[in-house]
Amino acid sequence: MAEESQYTRKFRKELMAGLSSLVLLAVLARAGREMYGYEIAKAVKAEGEGGLIFKQGAIYPVLRSLNTIGLLDSRVEASAFGPPRRYYNITDDGRQALNDWQGAWKDMREFVDDALLAGGGAVHEHRPSA
Amino acid sequence: MNTDRPPDTVRAYLDALQSALKGASPGLVSDALSDAEEHLQNELASNPDRSEAQVLASVIETYGTPAEIAEEYRSMEATLQGPFPKSEQTPERHYGFFGVISDPRAYGALMYMLLSLVTGVFYFTWTITGISLTAGLIILIIGIPFALLFIGSVRVLSLVEGRIIEGLLGVRMPRRLPPASAADETVLARIKNALIDIRTWSSMLYLILMLPLGVAYFVIAVVGISLSLGMAGGSLFSLLTNHSNFQIDDVPWLDHLLHTAPGLVAAMLFGILLFFILLHVCKGIGWLHGRIAEALLVRL
Repeated sequence: MAEESQYTRKFRKELMAGLSSLVLLAVLARAGREMYGYEIAKAVKAEGEGGLIFKQGAIYPVLRSLNTIGLLDSRVEASAFGPPRRYYNITDDGRQALNDWQGAWKDMREFVDDALLAGGGAVHEHRPSA
Repeated sequence: MNTDRPPDTVRAYLDALQSALKGASPGLVSDALSDAEEHLQNELASNPDRSEAQVLASVIETYGTPAEIAEEYRSMEATLQGPFPKSEQTPERHYGFFGVISDPRAYGALMYMLLSLVTGVFYFTWTITGISLTAGLIILIIGIPFALLFIGSVRVLSLVEGRIIEGLLGVRMPRRLPPASAADETVLARIKNALIDIRTWSSMLYLILMLPLGVAYFVIAVVGISLSLGMAGGSLFSLLTNHSNFQIDDVPWLDHLLHTAPGLVAAMLFGILLFFILLHVCKGIGWLHGRIAEALLVRL
C-alpha cells in the first residue's frame, strides 16, 4: 500500500471524525436490531471497500460516545466464551439524528462537489492570465 | 514498551494498548481495554483454524495498532468533553452557592455518605475476616482454595463499590471485573499473580479504609442534616406556635435571643444556610472520595 503523507492521513481522519457517527447510526438503523461491536465492525466493512479507510478499532470509541450522548442504547451480556459483549441499539433520538445528519451530509456533499468543480475551472481560467 | 515488535498475543496487544494509553483517565483505559479484548476474542473465535499470532497480525491491519487505537479513544474523550452537545450529564455546569440545591451530584454524595457506614462496616469485617482466615488456613491444604476465593470476593466487592461510586458520585469506574488470568494457569500461579498484582492490595486497603471513612462521612452527613434541619424546622415551629422550644442554659444571651422573634428568624435562616453549606461539603467529599476510589480500585 502506498504511503500517504501525514497531511493526507490527518485529512482523512478529520473527515471520518463526523462521518463515522453517521455511518454507524445508518448501519444500526438498517439492521433494525441490537448488534454487538464485532458484528457492527463486520457490517461496516461490508458496507463498502472502506476496510482500510476506517479502522475497525475506531468504531468502538464512536459507539461509546454515541451511547454517552443518548443516540444509542447499550447493554452488556455475558457470553459463553470470552469476555462479555456490549450490545448497541439505536434510540429514537438516534433515528432523529440520523435523519437530520443525512440532510446535513447531502448539503455538505453538494457544497463540496460544487466547490471542487468550480475550483477546478477557476484554476484553469487564472493560469493563462497570470 | 517494545514498539518495534508488533504484539502477537491478545495479552501483549492489551498490554501495548494499556501502555499507549498511559495518563488517560482510568475509566477510559478500562473501556478501551474491554472493547479491544471483546473484538480480539471474537476475531480469534471466528478464525479457529489460524494461530493466535496469525490472527493478531491481520487484526492489527483491520482493527488498528495499539497506538492508533489509543489515539482514537483520546480524541473521543476530548470531543465529549468539548462543546459537543450532551443531552444528559453536563458535568461542568457551574452552580452558584445556592444553585447547589438543584445539583444532583450533591445529593448523590449525601446518599453515598449515609450509605457508607453500612458498606464500610461490611467491607471492613469481610476483609479483616478474610485476611485472618486466609493467614490461619494457609498452612493447611484448604488454605489455597480459600485464598483464591477470598481474592475473588475482594474483586467482586471492589466492582460493586465501583458501581455504587459511579452511580452516586459520578466518577467513572470499571464496568466489569478485570480479565481473568488464562484458564490453563495452575492454582498456585493464579495466587502468585494476584499477590504481585498491586491492585489486589490496594483494593483491600480501600475496603479496610472504608470503615473509618464511612464512619466519618456518616457522622458528617447525619450531624449536618439534623443540625440544619433542626435549626430551620425548630425555629419555624417555635415561630408558628409562639413558644420557643430552644433552651440553652449555659449561654443566657443566646437563650434570650432564641426567645425573640427576630432571633428565631435568624436561627431559621442560619439553619437553611447550614444546609447549603452541608451540600457543598458533601460535593467536596464526594469529589475527594472519587479520587481515592480511582487511585485504589481502578486497575492501572
